[in-house]
This record gives sequence, C-alpha cells and structure tokens, in this order.
Amino acid sequence: MSALTDLIYGGANAVAGLTEGAVNDAIAKYGEQKEVAFPDTAYFLPTIYAATGVKVTKLGDLPACVGVLKSLISGKEDLGEALNAGLATAVGAEIIEALKYVESADPYAGDSGIGFVPDPIIRSLGVPLVTGDIPGVAVMLGKADDAALVSEIIKGYQTRGILTFLVGDIIEQAIENGVKMGLDFRVVPLGHDVTSVTHVVTVAIRAALIFGAVTPGDLPTLLAYTKERVPAFVNAFGALDAVTVSAGAGAIALGFPVIVDSDLGDIQVPGALESVTDLTKTVAHSLELRNIKIKIREIPIPVAFASAFEGEIIRRGDMHVQFNSTRKPTCELVVMKDAADIEDHKITIIGSDVDTVTAPADMSLGVLIEVCGEKMQVDFEPVIERKLHYWYNYMEGVMHTGQRNLINVRISKEAFEKGLRLKDFGEVIWCEIMDEFASVVDKCQVTLITDEAKVVELRDSVAMPRYDERDARLAGLTDESVDTFYTCILCQSFAPSHCCVVTPERLGLCGAVSWLDAKATKELTPTGPCQPIPKEGCTDERLGKYTAVDEAVSQATQGAVSSVTLYSILEDPMTSCGCFECICGIIPEANGVVIVNREYKGMTPTGMTFGELASMTGGGVQTPGFMGHGRHFISSKKFISAEGGIERIVWMPKELKDSVGDKLNKTAKELFGADNFIDMIGDETVATDSETLLAFLTEKNHPALGMDPIM
Amino acid sequence: MPFKRTPQKFNAAINAMTLGTGDNAVTIGGASVLPLYSFDGDIGNAPKIGVEISDLGLEGECVGMTEFYAGASTPAEMAAKAEKMPGADFVCLRLEGADPNGHNRSVEECVEIAKAVAGAISLPLVIEGCKNNEKDAELFEKIAAALEGKNVLFLSAKEENHKSVGAAVGLAYAQKVGAESSVDINLAKQLNVLLTQLGVKAENIAMNLGSAAAGYGFEYVASTMDRVKAAALGQNDAMLQMPVITPVASEAWSVKEAMVDEADFPEWGPQEDRGVRMEIATAAACLACGSDAVILKHPRSVATISAMVAALK
Amino acid sequence: MALKGLDIFKITPKTNCKDCGNPTCMAFAMKVAQGAIALDKCPHLSDEVKAQLSEATAPPMKTIKLGVGAEEHTLGGETVLARHEKTFVSKNLFAFTVGDAMSDEANEAAFASTVVDYERIGERMYVELINVKFGGDSARYLELVKRAAGLGRTLILSVSDAAVAKEALELTKGTRPLLNGASAANAAEMAALAKEYAALLGVSAANLDELYDTVAEIEKTGFKDLVLDVSSASAGEAFADAVQIRRAALKNNDRTFGYPSLVDVGAIAPGDEDMQCALAALFTVKYGSIVVMEKMSYASALPLYGLRQNIFTDPQKPMRVEPGIYPLNGADENSVCAITVDFALTYFVVSGEMERSGVPVNLLISDAGGYSVLTAWAAGKFSASSIAKFINEEVAPKVKSRTLILPGKVAVLQGEVAEKLPDWKVVVGTREAIELVKFLKEM
Repeated sequence: MSALTDLIYGGANAVAGLTEGAVNDAIAKYGEQKEVAFPDTAYFLPTIYAATGVKVTKLGDLPACVGVLKSLISGKEDLGEALNAGLATAVGAEIIEALKYVESADPYAGDSGIGFVPDPIIRSLGVPLVTGDIPGVAVMLGKADDAALVSEIIKGYQTRGILTFLVGDIIEQAIENGVKMGLDFRVVPLGHDVTSVTHVVTVAIRAALIFGAVTPGDLPTLLAYTKERVPAFVNAFGALDAVTVSAGAGAIALGFPVIVDSDLGDIQVPGALESVTDLTKTVAHSLELRNIKIKIREIPIPVAFASAFEGEIIRRGDMHVQFNSTRKPTCELVVMKDAADIEDHKITIIGSDVDTVTAPADMSLGVLIEVCGEKMQVDFEPVIERKLHYWYNYMEGVMHTGQRNLINVRISKEAFEKGLRLKDFGEVIWCEIMDEFASVVDKCQVTLITDEAKVVELRDSVAMPRYDERDARLAGLTDESVDTFYTCILCQSFAPSHCCVVTPERLGLCGAVSWLDAKATKELTPTGPCQPIPKEGCTDERLGKYTAVDEAVSQATQGAVSSVTLYSILEDPMTSCGCFECICGIIPEANGVVIVNREYKGMTPTGMTFGELASMTGGGVQTPGFMGHGRHFISSKKFISAEGGIERIVWMPKELKDSVGDKLNKTAKELFGADNFIDMIGDETVATDSETLLAFLTEKNHPALGMDPIM
Repeated sequence: MPFKRTPQKFNAAINAMTLGTGDNAVTIGGASVLPLYSFDGDIGNAPKIGVEISDLGLEGECVGMTEFYAGASTPAEMAAKAEKMPGADFVCLRLEGADPNGHNRSVEECVEIAKAVAGAISLPLVIEGCKNNEKDAELFEKIAAALEGKNVLFLSAKEENHKSVGAAVGLAYAQKVGAESSVDINLAKQLNVLLTQLGVKAENIAMNLGSAAAGYGFEYVASTMDRVKAAALGQNDAMLQMPVITPVASEAWSVKEAMVDEADFPEWGPQEDRGVRMEIATAAACLACGSDAVILKHPRSVATISAMVAALK
Repeated sequence: MALKGLDIFKITPKTNCKDCGNPTCMAFAMKVAQGAIALDKCPHLSDEVKAQLSEATAPPMKTIKLGVGAEEHTLGGETVLARHEKTFVSKNLFAFTVGDAMSDEANEAAFASTVVDYERIGERMYVELINVKFGGDSARYLELVKRAAGLGRTLILSVSDAAVAKEALELTKGTRPLLNGASAANAAEMAALAKEYAALLGVSAANLDELYDTVAEIEKTGFKDLVLDVSSASAGEAFADAVQIRRAALKNNDRTFGYPSLVDVGAIAPGDEDMQCALAALFTVKYGSIVVMEKMSYASALPLYGLRQNIFTDPQKPMRVEPGIYPLNGADENSVCAITVDFALTYFVVSGEMERSGVPVNLLISDAGGYSVLTAWAAGKFSASSIAKFINEEVAPKVKSRTLILPGKVAVLQGEVAEKLPDWKVVVGTREAIELVKFLKEM
C-alpha cells in the first residue's frame, strides 16, 4: 500500500508547490485585486466553493486556498488520508487552470481542448444524466500505446451514449482514428495539461450544486452526491507519474473508480483503482465497476414485439417448430449467480438452431437464464421466470404456454421466414430482464439448448432440484421465520380505507399477492403499493398485534383504520377491499365459522349468501366476526388462530372443501391430531341452515362444539 | 341553547407556492383547513384562476372568445389580452400545437412562442404541454432554460417523464414542477416521492391530480381530492401537501355537451352557453373538492368563478 | 358511531326464529348494523333493549320522503361527510322558482324549465321540484300553486303567512310538498300546519344559533319532518351554514341539525345564471339537499345533473351503461365494430375519443358487470366466450362489417376470440383511449 500513498503524496506535494509558485507569481504580476474567474459560471472556482464555501473572486483570495490545500496533504500512511491529498491535487489543478484565465480571456484558443465547461452546458447535460439518457461519464486521460485500440474504447462509449471527456495526447490519437468530437457526439476534449482534468471535476461538482442542491462547504454531502449520483469513472493510459496518480486519487475521493492500462500489481484497490491491460475489456469493466446500465431502446429481432401480440394463437398447421414438454424434454430456469460467473449479454446456443428442421417440427429446448445483481435475491428467480411467458408471447409469431419443465413454445412459419432464430429469444429475454428488472439485475446471460441430451441434463440435474428447493422454501416460510411483513394497497382505488398486510402465511386476500411477490414488488418498485413493515412491537402474540403493523396500516389508509390484528376475526380483523377469494364469518350457534368462496352462489348456514356477506365485509371497513381472505390462508396454522384456528371451521362449500381438503387435513393432523378433519366439516349437500348443520356437527363430533364459546 | 360550533382545525397546512416574481407574483395554497372552509380557520391564499390560451390561437372557438381576443393574432397578443381578463390571476399557455400526432410544432418554435408570451405579460405564467410525454420533456427543458428566473410552473411531469421534466424544470432551471397523476391518491403520492427523491424540493411541486368534466367520472376526481386533503391535513403527510392545480378548460370544452352544434341538438340551446356552464360547474366542483388553482378559458367562466371565490373568502 | 353487527347480535334472542324475515339472528343483526332494516322488525326484543339500542342505531341524519308516488324523493339519510368513506345516499334535488311577485314573462321563462327532461345512464334528469314563492298577492300566488301542481312535480311552498300557506296546502293536499316558511316567529303554527297536511317543513333563521333553537323548539312538538333553509344573501354564509349543519350531524352526532338542507342560489345571484350554475355545483358537491334556482336550462342541467350523478354514485357500484350497439359518427352496418365494457366511465372516455376521430364506428358495449376492462377480464366477465356470445347473438344479425377491434388491454384474448368468431377479422386496438384517434384514422 505504501507505494501507492507515496505516489499520491509525491504528486500532491508537487502540485501544491507548483500552485503556490504560480499564485505568488500571478500576484506579483497583477496584484491582489486582480479578478480571477472562470467564464460563464455562477460558482466561482467550483471545487473550492463547493468544498469550503469560499467564493474566490480575486488573486488575493488564493493564498488562503493554497493553505487549505496544503493542510489536506497529511502525509499519513492511510489510504483515506491519501485520497484527501488527491483532493488537494484537484484544488491545485483548479487554481492553476484558473490562473490561465487570468493570463488570457481564452487560454484554450490554441488548444484542441475546450477548457472550462460553462454552466449552461452543465444544465443541459444534467437532464440526460438524471434520466439515464447519458448513462455515464468517462474521463480518459494520458496517451495510449495503441491509438487505434484506445479510439475503439472511445467509440465503444459513444455507441452506449456515454459522455466522454478527453485529457492529454489521447485527443490527437482519437482524432487520427476518426472519432467524431463535440457535445453532440458526446466526446469532449478538455485540454492537454493534466491540470485540465479539473474541468471535468468541476462539471461533477457543479452538477451536485445545481441538481443535488448541495450546500457549498458541505464536503461530506458533496462527496456522497458525486459518489452516488454522478456515474463517472476514469480511464488512464500510458506511464503513470506521481501527479497523474494523485489526480486519480482525487477522482477516487469523489467516488469515481480509476482504471489504468498498466499493471499496478498489488497496489490495486478493488473497486477504486484497478488495472485492465487488455484494452478490449476496458469498456465492459469500467461500466461494471461503476454499475452503469445501458438503456435498451429497441429489441433487435426480425419480428415485432408488443403486448398486442399477447393473444395470438399459432395453430399446428401454421407452425414451423414447437418445443413441447409432452413430446421433447424442455425446461426454463432463471438462476442467480455470482457476478464473476456471468458475462453480460452473452447469448449461447447449444445444439442446432430452428433452421435445421422443416415444418412442422418438434425440438427440445432448455433455457438457462443466469442473472446477478447487488440487489438480486434468490426469491426473485421465480418472479422473473414467470415473466418469460409474457415476453415470448409479445413476439409476433411466437406462442408460449406453461412454465418450468412443462411448456409449449411455437414459432410460426411466418416468423421463421422473417428470420426469427433462437438467438432472438435470447435477445428478447436479455433486453426485457435488463429493462424490467433493472433495479435488481446487473448482468444477465442466456443459454438456449436444443441438444436433447444436454436439455435432459439441465432439466434433471439443475432445474428440477431448483424447483424443488423453491417449493420447499415456500412451504417452509412462516410468519416466525421472517422479520418483515408488507403492505399492499393495490386496491385502494375502489376501497380507499383498505390495506392488506401480507405475511408469509397470510397472502393478500385476493389470493394473488404472496409475501414473496410483495417483497419483489418492493424491490422492483420501491415507491409502489407494497411497503415493508418491520415485524416489531408485538403487543399480543395470540392476536398477532404489532405496533409497527398498526402504524403502517394507519399511514396507508390515511387514518381510516388504526389497528388490525393478523390472526383474529373478532378483534380488529383485517379489512377487505372486495376482491377476496373467500369470506369467513362466525356462526355462534355452531361455535365456529363458515367459509364461503366467491364462486358459491347459494345460501350459507349464517343466513347470508356470499353476496350479502361481501356487502358488509368489503369496502375497507372492519366488521368483527367477518373477514375476507385468500383460499391459501385456510390451511394455515395462523388462520384465525386467536379464536382457536382451523378447528373452528364448521362449513364450506363442497368445491372449496375439495380444493383445500388435503392441505387442511394435514394441518389438522399436525395441530390437533385429527384424521380426515375435512369430513367433519359441513357443506351445502349436508346443510344450508344452522339447525341441520348443528345436527351434522354433533353427529360427527366436530371439535368446535367442545371449544370455549367463540363469543 | 346556542349551536356548538366545532371548527375542524389541523396542525398541518397545504404548502404555499409562489408563481412569477416581484409585485405580480401569485401565491397558491397555504390552507390549514378543508377547502374553502374559511369559517373554520385560515384558508391561506384563496384559490387562483389562470386564463388558458393556446398556441393554436382561436381555431374553432366560440364568439365570446373571438370577440374577447379580437385583434390578437399571435399567442403573445392573446396573452396580453388574457392577463387583462377580469378575474385573471395568471396566464397559462397551452402548447397543443407541439403534439407530434397533431401539428407537430418544433421545440424551437414553441420556445419562441413561450418567450414572446412571457414578454407580453406581467402576471405569472404557467406552461402546459401537449400531453405527449417525450415531446413535453424536450419542450419543457428548452422553455425552462429560455424563461430562467421567471418562476414558471410547468404542467406537467408524469411518472413516465418525471425524471427529465423534474431535472430540467425543477433542478437545472429552478422553475416550478406540476406533478400529474391520474386520479389516484397513491399514484399522486408516489410521483411526489419520486420527484423529491430526484432532488426537486417539495415546496416547488404542485399537483395536478387529474381532472374530468362534470358527468365524466368526476366522482374519482372528487374522492381523490377529498382523500388527498384529508391525508395532507389530517395525517400531516408531507408528500401530499403540495397545492393542487387543475386545468379545467381543456376537459370541460372537449365533452359532447360543450361541443356539439345547436343545429344537431336544437333543444340543448346555444353551444357557447353549454360550454361555459360545463366549465363553470366543473371549476366550482373542483374548488369545492380542493383545487388551489383552476385553469379556465372563457371570459364568462373566469368572471363567474373569481366572483364565487371572492364570495367564499 | 354506529354499532357493529356483533354488538347487535348479542342482544337478539339468538333463536333463529325467522320472525323478522331473516334466516338467522346473525343475518338480522348484520342488516340492522348496515341500516338496511329497522331494529323493531324483531318482535322478541324487550322495550327496554329497544330503547337502549334505538338511540345507538338511529341514523345521525334523518331520512325524509318528499312528494308521493312516482314523484316521491328521498332526502337526507347521509352517514358520511365524504363519499369515499362509504357513499352518499340521497342525491340533491333541483327546483326552479315562480312567484306572484315576479312578472308574467319571468314566470313563463321559469316554467319553461320543464323542457329539461332526458335520460342519462338510466336516470331521468329533470327539475324535480317547483318553488312557488309568496310575495304578497295571495290570489295570484294560489293560481301559480295550482298551475305548478298540475305539472306533475312536487312543490316547495315558500310562504310564511300561515293563512296563505293553509290555502296552498289545501290545493296540494296529498302530494307531500315542502312548506318552506317556518322561522322563530311562527314555528309552532307552521309546524302544526305541516303536520296537519303531512307536508315537510322548511325552517330558516337569521343565523345558525337561531336556527338551532328554532329546530329544537319544533322538535318538542314531536314533528320532525324538517328541512333546514340555509339561504342567505351571501354565498359564503350559505356555504358555511350548509357545511356546519351537515358536519354537526354526522361528525358530532348533534341530531338537532340532523336534517336535509335547502339553499336558494337564485336568491343569492338573481339574474346571473352563470353564477347560479357555479353555486349549484358547489352545493351539489357539498351538502345542499335541495338547490333552488331561478330557472333551469339545458346549458346548466347538462353539467349539473352529470356532476350530481357522479357525486352520488356508490363507490362500490360503478355506473353502467346499457349493453348494445352505439353507432358513432354516422356509423352504419358496414362500419367497423369496436367492443368494450359497460363501465360508464370507460364508455364515456372511449366514445368521446372515437367521436373526436370522426371515423364511423359501431361501438359495442357488452355486459361486463359494470367493471373496467381489466377488472372485468380478471373477473371473467369480459372473456372470449362472453364477447363471442354477444357478437353472435346481438351484433352479427344487425351489422354487416366483420371487423372487430378489441381493447388493447385484453390483447391476450385476440387468438381465442378470432377462433370463436371465424368469419371476423379481430384486431387489437390501443391500450389507452387517448390513442384511439390516431389508431382509427390510420386504420
């Protein structure tokens, strides 16, 4: 490490000396009252102004700045301290550059660079930077050994919309190799002296002042802003002298990683200062280091891609090929991997493509999609996987049904003739994942396999175990096993005072939003309908009452509902919007509850139909004794556990009994050792009035009859 | 026994937002009671009325409008007359002509129009786009730059283009940002959160919660506004305390009742009266629900609504 | 705060005797809690229990019927201050005004308000009430009452002279009019008259305190079919009074003000129809139960009735339009068909954009339970089979065109619909209505 800090301090001291000399010379020549300013800016000497709040307007202000600059160079053997010295270099460079504007109104007239970047240009650059239209800012300095290669790097940035600033002889190298320059081409030459790098530093700093509303003098906030919001990085080429290294340290202090083309060996600092000696990899590595994602504008495939094609049906006669699980092995799998194992946008085809068969053909297809990302979680794999269905269907001439290892994908003759091939599937999948899941996926590679043996291998040794793991995880998720619940307020447009609290064991009452869905929604749409509730402040375990839940519900319903319990139907039960799959209502005569599903149109033993129950339960009101819920909740151990749980269930429509029977039996066996509990529960074939139901329950010796009175 | 009055007071208030500069600046919002409840406490700044003019001029306008603007042939000339319209608090330039699916007027042309309009008036200016997200983003950036320092409100940033509009209007050129959502309290709040996360200060945001003409789903407008005000005041929800500005004219004058010729529906009577009443009824309803400013266009509507606001102060 | 169903259930006999007409005591209790049924329908409750509960279950604002037969209207009965909290139940009524102190021309112009009579989304839109105002000439007044009574609408008799009022009531006997003329000065007398003729009684006062006392005074006589007249020379005062009265009743449970209100915007802005329209809209949104205007024209009615229909829609029961074929822009049997759902808002937005396009289209509205496109699709009420059934049964026999545009949001149905309607060309339209103009023009 010391080699690096030595270099930084050496460079910083050299620049400090140069600066001090230059300031003294200038004062001697022009006097202290001589004005010093960059053209067309309201931010004085921006680096000094932003870092210290000092407004430099005349030469006489500068000696104090030199003092501050020197104080930043502590010489201590510590990387953080050394980076501060790098900032000193930036300040020194700024002063030296400012003095050029004292000497001449247009010191860059004879240079191929433009020098100081005026405020209006920064304002106009701010918008595309904020929107991601300019996804990043590259600063390239020095002189490369191979002019052609370095020009390719610049062009690489150019095609990705990245704004590139050039400092040093690299400008001429680029010009020679036909790189188009100017703001419109997003390649801006700054100047040849290494100090002209200050002109890009002040761009970043003024962006923080203008767009981040950072208060001048608030250095920590400034550094946080440039680190988090200004997606810049540095590529340095050629031999590294101490001054360049210390300027690089300044960049690192601002949060901009530096990539050099020489091998720095063990003085590299991962994430901050790295070597990439193979210049063909500089672009990819730089983008990855700064986590810059390029917006995809149009998917390059030969057929149209739009939701309007979602409903297209491809008949057997019209199809070129199909990948059908009932005929050939198939599977689709999204897996999370380490960043190092993934090459972004790599699309691999293993086996023959669809142009090797004649219609109508059957082929195998295994699709392995590997993703990584700082915010990616294994739980999001199935969320992404479920979207594949839509993306395939959005392609004109492609039809997709099913999921996992049971799918059918058809390509129409027309689409095939237009040139649709397997790599286009890969393109679509990659583009859509990088677009729709940009907040969690940083890199993605897609492998499409048609080689039957290899598909079988993927399916049986990778995919199936993964599916099983997921199912086991889902089954094993309990309210106790997590520390966060989620709100869901998707339905507030018609039930303003309703808020679902989604827990692993209690999915949204519509049946469509599981805890995993809610969790993914939060990551993908951070300000969206699902917000996390820390599982804190449990005041009553039996009822499932949490102060954090009450606060979240109160907030989400604008105060309309102040308290809900998770496990009780009688005390502050959860509200219902109206889209519940089922309604549970108490039937005191039978000392239990009945559950009725939306599809059941007849009378229930409570004396009310689903419709009548819905009218009093919906709309976001709390109706003790009645609540809406999803089908899945019925077999949960948490189902109205405050009132005694599933033992209280005395009646359900036949269809509902059939659909939840097995799971309910299992839970009953676990909870109170009952065999075939479902048979003790009445249905419409037994009774639709409470008297007959009671007789039935007595005959079956239903456990609810022996429990404490429900109310 | 006297009637026991129980004023509904809140420990929160709608943000006050100033448009324009100097002596002619106008402030909207600031209420710490429900809309128009001056008997309960401080309603802050009484609702303000903007007069809308279009870059397309008076194409298809009724007699009352053409008479009022007689002699004005450019948007700037119209604006000069608009700000003199009795009851006007600010002028709103609607750049309908920029719509790529319509006249597709260029950004440069629109900037020139906006500059001319701004130069012709002393009241504050509001710029309304063409409802095409991409075009509006481009348009607003350039106009915000051209009118820097004039403290102009731009309608609107939507979820789709909030980054570009927010960055250009709210950050780069320190103008006021209108946040437009479609009649849903959660979407409105989400957009405000997104804009503030971008760095736009809450006090520089006004909300357009979406509007509808009377009879055309106004219940959603009413309930959204009711809920937004309840949350802003009752829950002290800072992400919903932005003042509400509602463009009424464009909605009101584009429904069948306001548009069809008398010849086609003789029993309905003169088209101009129908348009004016649709505009008036919609505006009055918006104010009752919580708009802190409405944008109208017909001189009769502006006069009537400003008189109503004065009577309710 | 109304009682929860379970609290009511606890005091029922829990015998499921069905004497109340409900299968179980629980069902009965839940209906009482909802206000759908009166507590005294249960014959087995002791008077003690009933008395104890009637206070708690009594609605905060009285529901009062005005008029009779086909012209019977419901006033009051509101339980919430904002419609999203539950729903508003009794739409406000409109009145136009004639009077003996007005000129013949003015009266004729006012009577012409009866031409406003049309239907909008299943609701008849007309001026329900006629306000006949007494100005001193009793003979002329009574003539006007007679004429107005003959128009098949319910009357508001704005008269504070008891003798004239009695004669007017005699002329309108059995029609349950509103006698709007009680004040502190004549409260007892007017209440007795209203009671005698089964009329409603409108009460007015110089200020809210006086109004409060007067109402309390009248209530002591046992007569409670009251309407509170908040009319004032100032719009601000009328608005303040209307809001405070409604709030006192619903929020503070002050039943003395638990009555519908009346506001005469014609008197606030005489001769200014624009202002009357503005104020009528204001009081439609906030708490005017009866809005009296000088006259009603289509120009004012179209927005005001539309607004009222919106405000008084139950948030959980969206407005629906009649399923069927709606030819737009002069469409005939050869014009393309575009299908959507019967949710009123969808219909208005879609038909509005289609009309803007100028392209002749047969807009097909299918029965989708009043839901929006995606909700109806999710609920299975707007599916390939429901669309195919509707097209085959209702549309195919009447329309020759065989092009059908589907809403872009249900593009997923395209293949299935095309399969079920083999002789139709099924096209996916736009996702948003606003894109329709371009889409149709380019089709």
